[in-house]
Amino acid sequence: MSIAARLKDISFSYPNNSEGALNGLSLEIRQGECVLLCGASGCGKTTVTRLLNGLIPHYYEGDLSGEVTVFGKDIRSTAIEELAGIVGSVFQNPRSQFFCVDTTAELAFGCENMGLAEDEIRSRVDKTVRDMKIEKLLDRSIFNLSGGEKQKIACAGVSAMLPELIVLDEPTSNLDLDAIDGLREIIAGWKAQGRTIVIAEHRLGWLEGLCDRVIYLEKGSLSCDFSGGEFFSLDTEMFSGMGLRAFAAKQNFLESETGISAIKPFENSGSITLDTFVYSYGRHKALDIKRLEIPAGSVTAVVGHNGAGKSTFTRCLCGLQKGFKGRVTVGGKACRPKDMMRLSYMVMQDVNRQLFAESVLEEVMLGADDGAENEAIELLERLGIPELKERHPMSLSGGQKQRVAIASALMAGKRLLVFDEPTSGLDLKSMECTAELLGSLGKDITVLIVTHDMELIDRCCTHILHIENGRI
Amino acid sequence: MGGLFTADVENRGLVLDPRTKLLVMITLVIFALGGTGSDILLVRCVTVAVSVLPIILLITAGQRKKALLFGLIYGGIKLLEIFVVSKATGAALTVIGLCCMVFVRLMPGLIMGAYMLSSTTVSEFIAAMHRMHVPQQITIPMSVMFRFFPTVLEEFSAINTAMKMRGISLGGKHSGKLIEYRLVPLMVCSVNIGSELSAAALTRGLGVKVRRTNICKIGFHLPDGAVLLLAAAPYVLWILGMIGVVK
Repeated sequence: MSIAARLKDISFSYPNNSEGALNGLSLEIRQGECVLLCGASGCGKTTVTRLLNGLIPHYYEGDLSGEVTVFGKDIRSTAIEELAGIVGSVFQNPRSQFFCVDTTAELAFGCENMGLAEDEIRSRVDKTVRDMKIEKLLDRSIFNLSGGEKQKIACAGVSAMLPELIVLDEPTSNLDLDAIDGLREIIAGWKAQGRTIVIAEHRLGWLEGLCDRVIYLEKGSLSCDFSGGEFFSLDTEMFSGMGLRAFAAKQNFLESETGISAIKPFENSGSITLDTFVYSYGRHKALDIKRLEIPAGSVTAVVGHNGAGKSTFTRCLCGLQKGFKGRVTVGGKACRPKDMMRLSYMVMQDVNRQLFAESVLEEVMLGADDGAENEAIELLERLGIPELKERHPMSLSGGQKQRVAIASALMAGKRLLVFDEPTSGLDLKSMECTAELLGSLGKDITVLIVTHDMELIDRCCTHILHIENGRI
Repeated sequence: MGGLFTADVENRGLVLDPRTKLLVMITLVIFALGGTGSDILLVRCVTVAVSVLPIILLITAGQRKKALLFGLIYGGIKLLEIFVVSKATGAALTVIGLCCMVFVRLMPGLIMGAYMLSSTTVSEFIAAMHRMHVPQQITIPMSVMFRFFPTVLEEFSAINTAMKMRGISLGGKHSGKLIEYRLVPLMVCSVNIGSELSAAALTRGLGVKVRRTNICKIGFHLPDGAVLLLAAAPYVLWILGMIGVVK
């Protein structure tokens, strides 16, 4: 079998950042192989994908030594645009990988860039659409698609360019289990067409039986090279030792009945009660909940398929969505949306959006009285980040930023914390840290976690709230 | 989404060629804003008709609320200009007259701009520029810029939400720092997304030396003809007025 890509003695480091560096990595990827790159955060798997599609060294700068060839082309002397027809890339964030606003134009975008004739583009787009069975996604607005549908369009756009090699960088971080199944089918289709596929991924379960080869990276070097069969027969302990997420969630909580149910013993002490909680977008009822009691002090996972109404629910609960109808009672007291906004805080998926101040301490003190500095420092200690108090929030790592956001919420006297996908794209260790943190916030704080991460739920949640079609 | 270049392709109503919209825009600038030929009565009348056109176009694009709002404001001020300004004297004349003049002249162009941006998709825009022989070096950076606006708006509203939850607002304790608190995260997020977006665009071949093709079908149809006819009227009447055929 011929070689699709060859990395020889690659060392690479990003300027000002030790994460993701590579140390003398050598790797050969054969044509037609489906390769999984795995390892803890910062092990360099994303860096490998960027070497393959030419983003390194042409877009992300850094110190690169060694040789990379993709289908016989030296990556350094080949312009990134020239590689576009050979290597296709799918990225993790659907927000930042679309160029057009309608799906058909998006599918044609890559081919248009290559300057193909109009008829050729149309026939390629038609064929891709038929192969992937996405006819009903044509001529839609990108803004009206669910996360899974967006990722399908991204894959189809790449596929229409007929690349020999396809690299996917954490393609499932925003997807629910059904959408992941859809992605799996797409990749199986590519495999059947004989394309070479390289996937960098934290979530491993969905790739079982699909990958021919698994490369485990550690600190920027190749640590183990398994065949697919070997790798997926390793036991869970082995996985934990390697810092990898277990590949099969013990339980798929999406299969539970809708409504709220306890999954761990929990001592009830009051509750947050919602009555006739209704919200509509135009004529469509996005949310319709007759009555719901969320136990105070619980850690409740909010699950449901993409587009089931989970984020509408949490936005209404936090008093952020204007024009919803319903009553919220906290500890026997009726709360208006304004009161809910005072009581609750949402930690967003992109925490950057909610850190404003120049130092961590100032950030935490924003919503507090001026005299409460000691209290703030105590709180930072409780969250394990006292040494960061002088740092600029934007200079911290993702996990640290999350902690600062939590600290600022607790300091402002918030009693209900809502987390939006707190573990998306995290490796085992970081996920465990987050789980431990969420579980340790104490009895006064009620935590809601919107998540697709079954392992996280298993580790720290006391209750499950399953929403489908806006109902429980 | 009614933002810039984010036309909702699923229900967009009447579709005009981007070049038609551009011509209407130029006509509005020359006659409504520039006041060309305003000494000829017929030109003035037709200019009002062309000025109302953007509002009608907004309705055809399904943006009825916006159209109604703009229509009421424009109509009100135009009536004010016709009936009140002619009778006013002294300071009132200066103030009302000036306000009316600024609004009446600027608004049609602004409404047309709003309609153009909200009813054109990025690919239509690129196709139209291509047909007008504008070089790629200009159209591609522009299309990247337009693609980026809605994202920045989205970030901005998310940051606002976060600030509301933290109780940072006008009149609050930190109102002096409102702008700084908003700009820092906005810039960090925009830079992140912008760099991811350009990386994604590069891997899909944007910027290849070969001439880009476009499957987007644009062209002049019946509605374009009607709109162009109306847009041509002031030019014709102006010329006729100059040579003294009409008054």
